[in-house]
Amino acid sequence: MSAAESAPEARRALDPIWLGRGIALVAGVLLVLYPMLSDNLYYQNMIILSLVFAIAASGLSIITGLAGYVSLSQGAFVGLGGYTVGVLATHHPDTNVWLWMPVAGVTAGLVALILGFVAMRASGPSFVIITVAFLFLVQVIAINWRSVSGGTEGLSLPIPTWDADIANWPFYYSLVGILALQLLLTWWIRRTKLGTGLVAIRDDETKAATLGINLPVEKMIAFIASSVLVGVGGGVYGYYLTFIDPRGMFNILLSVEAMLALLVGGKATLWGPVLGAFIVEPLNEYANNNLGGGNTRLLLFGGLLVLIVLFLPQGVLPAIESLLNWVRTRGRAGLVGARIGTGGSLASLTGRLSLVDRAAAVDPPPPLLEVKDLRKAFGGLKAVDGASLVVPEGSITGLIGPNGSGKTTLFNLIDDTIHADGGEIWLAGERIDRLSPWTRAHRGLGRTFQITRLFREMTVLENVVAAQRSFSWGQLGRIAVSGSEARAAEELLEYVGMRSFRDQKARALSFGQQKLVELAQVLMLDPKLILLDEPAGGINPVLIDRMSGMIRELNSYGKTFLIVEHNMPFVLGLCDPVHVLARGHTMASGTPDQIQKDPAVVDAYLGDDFVLEDEHERTVR
Amino acid sequence: MTEFVQALVLSLLVGGIYALVASGLTLIFGVMRVINIAHGAFLILGAFITYTVWDQLGLDPLVGVVITTPIVFALGWLIYRLLVRPIRHAPMSSTVLLTFGLALVTEGVMGLVWGNESTSIRPSYVDQSFHLGQVFLPKAQVYGGLLAVVVLGCLWLILTKTWLGRAIRAAAANPASAELVGIKVTSVAALVFGLGLAAAGAGGGITGVLYPFVPGSHYLWIARLLAIVVLGGLGSLEGAVLSALVFGVAETMTAVYISPAWATAVPYAIVFVVLLFRPQGLLGTRLRDDAVTA
Repeated sequence: MSAAESAPEARRALDPIWLGRGIALVAGVLLVLYPMLSDNLYYQNMIILSLVFAIAASGLSIITGLAGYVSLSQGAFVGLGGYTVGVLATHHPDTNVWLWMPVAGVTAGLVALILGFVAMRASGPSFVIITVAFLFLVQVIAINWRSVSGGTEGLSLPIPTWDADIANWPFYYSLVGILALQLLLTWWIRRTKLGTGLVAIRDDETKAATLGINLPVEKMIAFIASSVLVGVGGGVYGYYLTFIDPRGMFNILLSVEAMLALLVGGKATLWGPVLGAFIVEPLNEYANNNLGGGNTRLLLFGGLLVLIVLFLPQGVLPAIESLLNWVRTRGRAGLVGARIGTGGSLASLTGRLSLVDRAAAVDPPPPLLEVKDLRKAFGGLKAVDGASLVVPEGSITGLIGPNGSGKTTLFNLIDDTIHADGGEIWLAGERIDRLSPWTRAHRGLGRTFQITRLFREMTVLENVVAAQRSFSWGQLGRIAVSGSEARAAEELLEYVGMRSFRDQKARALSFGQQKLVELAQVLMLDPKLILLDEPAGGINPVLIDRMSGMIRELNSYGKTFLIVEHNMPFVLGLCDPVHVLARGHTMASGTPDQIQKDPAVVDAYLGDDFVLEDEHERTVR
Repeated sequence: MTEFVQALVLSLLVGGIYALVASGLTLIFGVMRVINIAHGAFLILGAFITYTVWDQLGLDPLVGVVITTPIVFALGWLIYRLLVRPIRHAPMSSTVLLTFGLALVTEGVMGLVWGNESTSIRPSYVDQSFHLGQVFLPKAQVYGGLLAVVVLGCLWLILTKTWLGRAIRAAAANPASAELVGIKVTSVAALVFGLGLAAAGAGGGITGVLYPFVPGSHYLWIARLLAIVVLGGLGSLEGAVLSALVFGVAETMTAVYISPAWATAVPYAIVFVVLLFRPQGLLGTRLRDDAVTA
């Protein structure tokens, strides 16, 4: 502590955020002033090319950095922009070339939309393959569609007509402007619900879908946001070159260079791609001019790619940042070992959750969830084979059964983590088995996982704000990391006792802590029905009591639960009714007492010697 | 009709070569979930090594495959040990970028060693043909196609009849359990990477006799190979072989009946159509990804 008190000023100066902002400001000013201070065309050219790649890499940081989809088609959008301007300018020689720049952006955006329809059906590896295939396909088209593209001979654009003294200025400053716009767009997306949704997709796509995140729409927006301004930048680039051909404009090395810039700088950072571009492009120029070009350039790019992946996967900026953080926080105790808070009261959440008074409940309660004859087979194995059950509204319903009886698979079918082969699922009177996981979440279904699936690279707070309780375009643009969304998340974290951990990365938490955060995450959806997969599994007895206390409290305010659990005192003390699953179908349903006395259940699951250890405790609790 | 029969036979022979090379790629994916973007580069490397063997030693290039294949195998083994193994637990995108980098480095090295001019391997029989009625079959195509089938057969025997083959399939199905029953998964993976690249190297030796090549030819090859394994279903060996034949026919027919220029677009079009309508490929199955992995 003494060290911290003696030099608070120095520590603040080392705060990566302020240091970074300072450096970015200085660099920005220098960038704007440079052409006025120096008319060295060699360096102006180098900066112009670096700007093109900075735009491409910054765009790429949305789809690849945030959403985690590695795209090698970024160069194609540069090329498409260039060709749009090139083709239009040669067909309309009397029109001012600059007027075509927005058209280049529209073209890039439209192509991204169409490509996205194909590409977004694929995950991980297939997506990379599609983007490469797309790049080559566009190149083949540009070579063969001679009447429009001029084929391999390429196109010559009109020579600029402005004063030779400022020859490069229009290119230079329009690229600076486009880069500024792209950075603004990237910065804004990172702060919105859309941004947290994209990072959630990167960390765990299946889980993201269960939190109401509309996967295809959000990925599509990310893909388009990654390409529109890149297309405009490509248009300026093509005009600057005044000559474009398929081999140059659709060279895969353009994509590689954009990817390298992103990786070198730090793919999940705002400024990293810009820094990376201003490192990689000058290196490229140097290799071209001083080291013989061609093969040396390949060795440089290839070697750099290999080295970065192996030794600096995070990139330069995150490495510097973690170094500074280490210096700043040296000697302070980590927070993850701290005690879990005592929890807040539900009363404080009434503004956030739609809580109801149970006194007004109908008797007998209508079914909230109804599963009819649900089936799923993995090859020959029938994991769920005609399961049917009812969860009455306002109940805490239990689901028990031997290992492998299909409990978790049933959960997965209910929230569409995996797709059912047949059967019906009804939620609150509406059939939901043909709906996507995110729509099911929007209709009031929340679910936790047996092995917690938090987004490991997000903070606790970000994990909770990632949930999207409905879909609207306006909501996607809402700021997630501060304001009302963040306040709501903090209240929920307070309720589960995890508020003091809000800025910790989820991966640093213990298993029990993760279970609590996952509960807060699901509550953020304000679901009607909460599916809990082994809420008491693998956590300590005190926490188990806390967990059952919270379930009761939430239930008393109208939340319905369906709980899978092996801890019999926990289930039988909490749940009514209880369903027993065996070999994929429901073999018994009833009150806890009926279930305990059912000879078939005793035989299949509980065992002859099963006695509930503390009958008394159950009734008291 | 004669033209069609001739095109069909030739395209099946070419398909056999594709099958060999694509098997290597899909095998590597099946065992270690790595999409080896450098596969095409190692095919071209195989072609250049075969060229040197033929040029310097005067050995028949198709016999030279006996020398080429072990060299590429050793290289693959070494690359796995040095580069792939350290990041084997990283996300798949890391290995994609790593092998992409490797492809560029290999292309650059080949350019420096052998030059960027078009190279061709021309044994004495390269301009001779077999005549079956009115059908002309170039000898090089026939020999090359048959050799590819033989090498593919050897690979098949290794995978199905040997202890190594069983270990490879066990490691592919469940690495953790394979470790438990005494299979050293990283050693197996290194051998698989070697075998996979060796298939590419052997295929390169054969295609080097059929078509001229430059270091940059590897882009066309990797596009073709990815299209084949995507069509067959990533990781499926049978799928790769089947779709290689389908692909060989589609490509040749496009070249014969539409135009050679558009034949190069076939692989990309196939990738799009397949992933749009059947993302798991012809014989691939969707992986079960909900099972608990912790």
